[in-house]
Amino acid sequence: MKVESKGRFRRGSASPRLITFRGGTHPPQSKELTRDREIRPGPEVKEVAIMLSQHIGAACQPIVREGNMVQAGQKIGDSDAFVSAPVHSPITGKVKEIGLRSHAVLGRSPAIVVEAYAYNPVKRPSFKIEDFDESKYSSGQICEAVRQAGIVGMGGAGFPTRVKIEPSPETPKKTLIINGCECEPYITCDYRIMLEWTDQIIAGIKLARKACGCSEIFIGIEDNKPEAIEALDSALKRTPNCENIKIVSVKTKYPQGGERQLIKAILKKNVPTGGIPPMIGVLVANVATVAAIAEAVVCNWPLTHRVVTVTGDAIANPGNYYVPIGTSVEDLIGFCGGVTKKSAKVIIGGPMMGIAIADLKTPITKTAGAITILTKEQVGKKLERLQTPCIHCGKCLEVCPENLVPTKIAHAVKNNLWEVAENYYISACNECGCCSYVCPANIELTGYIRTGKIFLARQKKLMPA
Amino acid sequence: MLSKITISCAPHIGQPLSTRRIMVDVIIGLVPVMAAAGYYFRIRAPILIGTCVVASVVTEWLCNLLRKGTNSVGDFSAVVTGIILALSLPPGFPVWGAVIGSVFSIAVGKMVFGGLGANIFNPAMVGRAFLTASFGVLMTTWTVPATIKGVKMSRIAPENVVDARTQATPLAWSKLAIKQKYGANRYSEENFKATVTGEVGGCLGETCVIALLIGGVYLLIRGTIKFHIPLAVLVSAFIFAAIAYLGNSYRYVQPLFHLTSGGLLLGAFFIATDPVTAPLTVKGKWIYGVGIGVMTMLIRIAGEYPEGVMYAVLLMNSVTPLIDRLCKPTPAGGKPRA
Repeated sequence: MKVESKGRFRRGSASPRLITFRGGTHPPQSKELTRDREIRPGPEVKEVAIMLSQHIGAACQPIVREGNMVQAGQKIGDSDAFVSAPVHSPITGKVKEIGLRSHAVLGRSPAIVVEAYAYNPVKRPSFKIEDFDESKYSSGQICEAVRQAGIVGMGGAGFPTRVKIEPSPETPKKTLIINGCECEPYITCDYRIMLEWTDQIIAGIKLARKACGCSEIFIGIEDNKPEAIEALDSALKRTPNCENIKIVSVKTKYPQGGERQLIKAILKKNVPTGGIPPMIGVLVANVATVAAIAEAVVCNWPLTHRVVTVTGDAIANPGNYYVPIGTSVEDLIGFCGGVTKKSAKVIIGGPMMGIAIADLKTPITKTAGAITILTKEQVGKKLERLQTPCIHCGKCLEVCPENLVPTKIAHAVKNNLWEVAENYYISACNECGCCSYVCPANIELTGYIRTGKIFLARQKKLMPA
Repeated sequence: MLSKITISCAPHIGQPLSTRRIMVDVIIGLVPVMAAAGYYFRIRAPILIGTCVVASVVTEWLCNLLRKGTNSVGDFSAVVTGIILALSLPPGFPVWGAVIGSVFSIAVGKMVFGGLGANIFNPAMVGRAFLTASFGVLMTTWTVPATIKGVKMSRIAPENVVDARTQATPLAWSKLAIKQKYGANRYSEENFKATVTGEVGGCLGETCVIALLIGGVYLLIRGTIKFHIPLAVLVSAFIFAAIAYLGNSYRYVQPLFHLTSGGLLLGAFFIATDPVTAPLTVKGKWIYGVGIGVMTMLIRIAGEYPEGVMYAVLLMNSVTPLIDRLCKPTPAGGKPRA
């Protein structure tokens, strides 16, 4: 089945090479914990905390006051900035507080806390593919609906989708790549969406295609998900007007789902260092994002819920849940039966790029695809702080998908040699974590590089050239 | 259950391979070589290897004590250095000399630079170079393998050669051939088999080609070393020797004979591949390997010494940082536009 799908969905003719990029690594997948668990409604929460910054770009300003009543789906925060996305309340209730909450990346940052007022069942807006006709919507309408719905890249980056899909004269977009790779270990939310919301994804792809004017569309899926490939393939066959949408089965390798890596694998093109995909006429969107686009445009429903995979050996009932955005990690863990084993780390996201959190009250944001709870055994040597000296084994060079020299950059950062770090292209690092993963000396290469990038960014802000 | 959670930067998992595991792999790869040394040189092998390992580890431990740093003995790199130094000594080398060499290897070759990962030169080769400079005669006095019947395991100098199989070393012989225009060609044909099995004079671990190949292949399969450096060393040395042989087959021995004799294989698989002193990039590894191969053959054919692996490795070690700078890889997306 697996081998067959590789051959059948390969783009072009009988090229024996697998579709992939250079470098990368193979961490244990560990997806079996949740891959067969259907998406189920998440907890019916009493309180949600909606972070005002869940995306790249300007943070929202609250447009409600403490004590106001809000409806489910009501916009509660917005911004005038172009690169931004509004936030909405997933539940009907009362604004309890506008205060600081823990954010996985930004630390303590402003959030709107909404207390549930009445019965708030977790329900998806109903979507029927039979009634769907993309010719009803114009490009401008779609972009506006996406903007109003507050849709951002749900794969993790959180770039406002409207900015991405809106056609721009300087960088005309030709190719749209739908990212269904989900290369991060443990996470299965995109996989379940592809299986269960197949029609909605296809509708979303059609809408995105219409909005951005792309003429060729690829859906990239790793070859460890033959069922997802099958589901999307049969859906494409029975849906009219899908001729230019092709499924590409790409090699299962981390970080295949990285934007740049996926473009390299499918189109054999490199996105310029420091550049973005539109520079080469490409647009990449996650499957969850396009599903949200369909919901926003067709059902006129904003992005208030998302599928979150709650997983890890320590959790009692791992699974994929449709969760209101703003639910605290603690509530979600409690809903999944709590933890059964001694756990070492609670991570928002997966183990390769996710962020370990200290405050369990941290709310789920639009970009949080998973809560991974790892036991001490699973974290293994990364729990020990011991780093031995670099022996120049070169394993980090082998796995770096961006063809960098992680050890040189990390040691430059360690020794405050900023010029050396920039000489070795520190800014080209996409922080995928492959180098730290393979390092036999247990050096936190990615950690050093990330620190260096933050430091350099601050330095540039202080002293503009 | 969630009372004690840790936060740290991503990634939160790692593969189990550690520096110690890499060093243990190298030691496993050296086992066939040590076994062959024990077979041909009997009790001398365990004595020298044991002495060098113990002296190296103790030196590292003492240096750590002096530096008041973390104790790095547990990474087993000193063990590897000790074994490789022992394997590159003549079998009859005195124990006190081996101790001096080991102490010099670890203390001057490695610890003064800051320990593992910081040294510029291969520590074992630094120790060996020191011994060659200090005890030249002892370092070129060879032992006849114990498996050759009729000849007692005795030390012999190049001057009083009894017959082809009890000569000094194959390379000393080919050097004599170059100098005296002796019948080098015939010699190498007669003794090619002996250089493969290891039944010839030479350093403890360099004689048995079969054992070296087994160990080298093990390291390649385990992924401990990459094929680039050994291949570059061997191919470039072969081509160099082939050109010399084609130019004057009377003076110079066959190219394959150069590969099987002397320390070329030990150097290619176990010494040149020391990651600390080799370049990081693949391109750099090719340059480094070719440099060692060519330099070795230059010394063997045109130099004063019969063997040149040690100096070739040390010379290329010294340019490793330059090679790395020269071979800086371009990012996947090309150079960023300024």
